[in-house]
Amino acid sequence: MEQATPDPERQLQPAPLEPLGRSDAGLGVTVDEEAERAREEGSGGDTMTHNNFWLKKIEISVSEAEKRTGRNAMNMQETYTAYLIETRSVEHTDGQSVLTDSLWRRYSEFELLRNYLLVYYPHIVVPPLPEKRAEFVWHKLSADNMDPDFVERRRIGLENFLLRIASHPILCRDKIFYLFLTQEGNWKETVNETGFQLKADSRLKALNATFRVKNPDKRFTDLKHYSDELQSVISHLLRVRARVADRLYGVYKVHGNYGRVFSEWSAIEKEMGDGLQSAGHHMDVYASSIDDILEDEEHYADQLKEYLFYAEALRAVCRKHELMQYDLEIAAQDLASKKQQCEELATGTVRTFSLKGMTTKLFGQETPEQREARIKVLEEQINEGEQQLKSKNLEGREFVKNAWADIERFKEQKNRDLKEALISYAVMQISMCKKGIQVWTNAKECFSKM
Amino acid sequence: MAGGPPKALPSTGPHSLRDMPHPLAGSSSEEAVGGDSTPSPDLLMARSFGDKDLILPNGGTPAGTSSPASSSSLLNRLQLDDDIDGETRDLFVVVDDPKKHVCTMETYITYRITTKSTRVEFDLPEYSVRRRYQDFDWLRSKLEESQPTHLIPPLPEKFVVKGVVDRFSEEFVETRRKALDKFLKRITDHPVLSFNEHFNIFLTAKDLNIYKKQGIALLTRMGESVKHVTGGYKLRTRPLEFAAIGDYLDTFALKLGTIDRIAQRIIKEEIEYLVELREYGPVYSTWSALEGELAEPLEGVSACIGNCSTALEELTDDMTEDFLPVLREYILYSDSMKSVLKKRDQVQAEYEAKLEAVALRKEDRPKVPADVEKCQDRMECFNADLKADMERWQNNKRQDFRQLLMGMADKNIQYYEKCLMAWESIIPLLQEKQEAKFPVTAVLS
Repeated sequence: MEQATPDPERQLQPAPLEPLGRSDAGLGVTVDEEAERAREEGSGGDTMTHNNFWLKKIEISVSEAEKRTGRNAMNMQETYTAYLIETRSVEHTDGQSVLTDSLWRRYSEFELLRNYLLVYYPHIVVPPLPEKRAEFVWHKLSADNMDPDFVERRRIGLENFLLRIASHPILCRDKIFYLFLTQEGNWKETVNETGFQLKADSRLKALNATFRVKNPDKRFTDLKHYSDELQSVISHLLRVRARVADRLYGVYKVHGNYGRVFSEWSAIEKEMGDGLQSAGHHMDVYASSIDDILEDEEHYADQLKEYLFYAEALRAVCRKHELMQYDLEIAAQDLASKKQQCEELATGTVRTFSLKGMTTKLFGQETPEQREARIKVLEEQINEGEQQLKSKNLEGREFVKNAWADIERFKEQKNRDLKEALISYAVMQISMCKKGIQVWTNAKECFSKM
Repeated sequence: MAGGPPKALPSTGPHSLRDMPHPLAGSSSEEAVGGDSTPSPDLLMARSFGDKDLILPNGGTPAGTSSPASSSSLLNRLQLDDDIDGETRDLFVVVDDPKKHVCTMETYITYRITTKSTRVEFDLPEYSVRRRYQDFDWLRSKLEESQPTHLIPPLPEKFVVKGVVDRFSEEFVETRRKALDKFLKRITDHPVLSFNEHFNIFLTAKDLNIYKKQGIALLTRMGESVKHVTGGYKLRTRPLEFAAIGDYLDTFALKLGTIDRIAQRIIKEEIEYLVELREYGPVYSTWSALEGELAEPLEGVSACIGNCSTALEELTDDMTEDFLPVLREYILYSDSMKSVLKKRDQVQAEYEAKLEAVALRKEDRPKVPADVEKCQDRMECFNADLKADMERWQNNKRQDFRQLLMGMADKNIQYYEKCLMAWESIIPLLQEKQEAKFPVTAVLS
């Protein structure tokens, strides 16, 4: 992967080349410091702008979505949606924003970016993408990916994804992310050239794989349980909410029938006619008000969905810890057994089973020279092993420290965001109740004039 | 009110008709039936006690008989104004206090009927009796028999077919009690029906069964008369005004039927919505148990949804108990009214047929035979009564529906107000800064 020199104007640093495990002691510290600074500079709740470390702001927006047709890898025609990403740089002094970059990306490229980030930042709770296919729909919404409402909500979700990354103290400085926003052609090749797929631990994807880890950090075990339960409860919530929306829709719409029958009835009445007719009109208004109400509620559902997917990201960090811990324990075990072997060879006692030992028994003793050679090899291996164990230990500790720092950050963000979501949900309900009172009060007045 | 006998003042306490000397006593025509345009005095009570009164269709009195003054004063005393307001009302009936009776053969409910009246027809100023549904049913049949030219109010349905309804549940009994109370009040408000002897017995008799068994023929002249109208005659054309009433009732019943179906559908949808809400709220509680800082806000939302669910349940109960039964009653009402209309047609048909038969006989005598005259009077009386009742019915219907629909709107307003209060009260809870909690189970506290 090419190493572009950091462009002071661009304010983003190149991505670290190796996974966070080698010679990262210095980087780890830096990350922490800079993370601190980012928090101080108030990158928190502000979703539209990002404060980076050189006090220049950039604004990112996914402003449009367009249907395209093209040829896929198998040279077959396909239809897909492309999204326009615009980046603006905001001059601190006069607040004017200048469009600096604008390019089109499709969903699969967003996926590629995220997969890359997952590999290179395993200690970070990586922001999730909006759902690939519409789930938890209630009957009115289409589950079709080409449906304009779905596309619109996805556009917003993708913008949110980019803003989350941009406001993350560590992720925002990634070079590949920077190129995603700025380099239209060739970006895919650039990402693939990092070789991140090779570095990816396939075990992370294997959900069924269990690792008997003897000493995991309890916090991570608890966190994994939490993320599982969070996923389960939010899924349940979204499913029931969709059914609730469905039923509510039915209630409102049936009232529309009153409009028609009151109108017909008013035709045969003398004094009652006017009151009935106008009341019927209010029933129509009532029935049609549900469409906007439920559309607003979809926004709330999307906020919940983001955290449903975040739970997955949380779990990924926990599993990474488990894997590292597992590798560490295996390495320690391996080292211990080699040391044992060495000791036995040196002292001549056989306590551990070894194939060599067995063959020796069967085919005769080995010569002292042979034994010396073997001891030497083992000693080398033991040395190497000790070095590896030391660095693995260091790796593990660094990982735990950095991951937990990000988890704390995530926790604050989650509490903040979900509280906001609940408040806005309550506000929506209040608005719905007020509208209901208004309509029925109007209808009541019409009835009183009957 | 059209011309004819002078408009009567509200009567404040008529003497018993038996005591009054009949101004036209001695006159021959017992059968003469008179009536005029609305509102007409119904002189059936007079006839039932053997008194004769004679007011010919053209509004005059037979030549050589009583002075206009005395007949009008008689009218004054007999005729009750349609618009009985509170001050002039002299009969009050209330249905309340349902009680369950468990006997060896059956279990049933009785209702207390309290009557207060200054009317002479009542020996005591106050009565309190207990009646069960079949007694009301008996009363209604008797009224239909004895007052066929009038619109008799409907009873709530005898059997409840829909669903598994408990006949002895509080809600069912209360709904029925209200309907029975309405039934009696409608009769009370009627200037003719309220004087019906069967009604009187219903309100006052200690043991109704004695009267039922004796089958006392308290049929009025009119009742007898109409009873014997043969149905064999075909009516050529319904007079315009009755045709209009017929058309109106047809469309009215149709629209009410539609409204009934819509209301039922709404209740059904609301109940299904309620079912989902009852699952939805608790999920927030489950989530709350996982969280630290978010625990209280989530629990608050859960409680809020619970309150809204309760409010919704109250709404559906109210609509089921108060709204639907009244709609059904009016559908039954218009059905029974259509039967009365048909009967009227029969009466007219018979008259016209007989008149035609006479005309064909080509007799010299211009005098109309007695039996044809009888038919004509019967028809005209019927028409007058029906028209009067229709107008009364239209007024009451308007008031009833205004009240019913305003009530429906009110219940919905109350539902939304309850929900609004619940959500508004939770906003401060959601907004307040939470102290970090450290429960043992929560991870991210």
